[in-house]
Amino acid sequence: MRVSVCPSLFAAAVTAMLVLAGCAAKPNPSDADAVADYNEANDPLEPTNRVFYAINNGLDTVLVRPLAVAYRYAVPQVVRDHTHNVLDNIGAPVTLFDDILQAKPRRAGDSLMRFVVNSTFGVAGVFDVATGWGWPEHDSDGGMTLAMWGLPEGPFLFLPVLGPTNPRDAAGFGGDVALDPTTWIGRGTIVTALSYTRYGLSAVDARERVLDDIDKIKAQALDPYATFRSLARQHRKSQLEDASQDEPHTIPAWFPQRAVPSGSTPPSQ
Amino acid sequence: MLTRRVLFTTALGVASVPLFAAAGHADANDQAASFIAKLGKDLVDIVNGPGALKDKQSALAQIVDRDVDISAVAQFCLGRFWRTATPDQQREYTELFHRVLVNNITSKIGDYQGVTFAVGRGVPREDAIAVTSSVTRPNNPPNRVDWLVSMAGGGPKIIDVIAEGTSLRLTQRSDYASFLSRNNNNVAVLIDAMRKQADQPG
Repeated sequence: MRVSVCPSLFAAAVTAMLVLAGCAAKPNPSDADAVADYNEANDPLEPTNRVFYAINNGLDTVLVRPLAVAYRYAVPQVVRDHTHNVLDNIGAPVTLFDDILQAKPRRAGDSLMRFVVNSTFGVAGVFDVATGWGWPEHDSDGGMTLAMWGLPEGPFLFLPVLGPTNPRDAAGFGGDVALDPTTWIGRGTIVTALSYTRYGLSAVDARERVLDDIDKIKAQALDPYATFRSLARQHRKSQLEDASQDEPHTIPAWFPQRAVPSGSTPPSQ
Repeated sequence: MLTRRVLFTTALGVASVPLFAAAGHADANDQAASFIAKLGKDLVDIVNGPGALKDKQSALAQIVDRDVDISAVAQFCLGRFWRTATPDQQREYTELFHRVLVNNITSKIGDYQGVTFAVGRGVPREDAIAVTSSVTRPNNPPNRVDWLVSMAGGGPKIIDVIAEGTSLRLTQRSDYASFLSRNNNNVAVLIDAMRKQADQPG
């Protein structure tokens, strides 16, 4: 669940982060359990991160959440679903590039076919026909690409607007913005307006989809910051595991499959 | 001769141990999977069934008591602070943990209207058995939910639920650990906070 933001905001956020960087008090080295907890959280910048969490949370309470609530109230579910499909389809080329950079040809095949099929038969992405035809959606982004290239994740970061992340995912996000064809398709007023509309709509769409979950976490957690940190890191780890283990076929399920004796490699064409 | 026969028998015995162990594993895996299948059916029946919300909530609470190893989960979530807590604190904490857990689960019942549940296989994971399942809510893509089932302590019991790769007990433990580290590692403060949570209406 990612919220897209414009690159300049992101750059400002990173700068602010570096200026305000403060360090968490390290536990007493003789207390092995406390040290283990500290290392597991991987959050040496916790005081700074908590400041940004508070800022984000404030912005969310007064601006983003009310927008998401209004969006849910004003727009029927069907329209919201199709809007989500269109936004996904606009992001499909970046997913494809990341699949290729991750050396995942079959996943790249899925992404390519999703973009082609949904852009045509799916009427500019309004309908997600590709999933039903055997090319399901998967998660892939620049942060995952860098992870598969062997880059370490670095310390946990909570950035304004971007939310829970780490230096690797933040760099990957910057890479994705650079890879996105929509970043480069012109500089007219209309293009700029469309691109801001897309970012704004993506943020509201992403927020609306987690409205109930986040409300519950905030109500039920004793320390919501720590809970979000734990959830974000676990979810990211599982996304990476799924991606590195996933080798789906490029051929959809309904296509006549060539019989291949088990243990042998299929002949090349 | 005797030596050879003893050796042969011993070798056979040693060789067959892994076989029996594997067979035992398979049984336990199947047992865990059918345990979760039954749980899933019960949950879907309650959530989608007729009846007042209050009745559904109490039926759900009974299932939680029946199928979840509450004291094991509670102890895990307190982590290293379990050992420093007094027996009284441990007892009170476990009791409050139980109430908060049941409140949290039963308050979500409305969100799961129309839910469907498909159970996969059980595979050994960390002294327990992980049973995969796919939970689908209307208008949502299927969610992958893994159930960690422990066979220790008489019969299958759930010790963790892993939704889309996020473990509920790990998340809860980091919540408590962080709360405690910001309150001088004082378990009494945690217990007070949990009492407030438990007394809040669903």
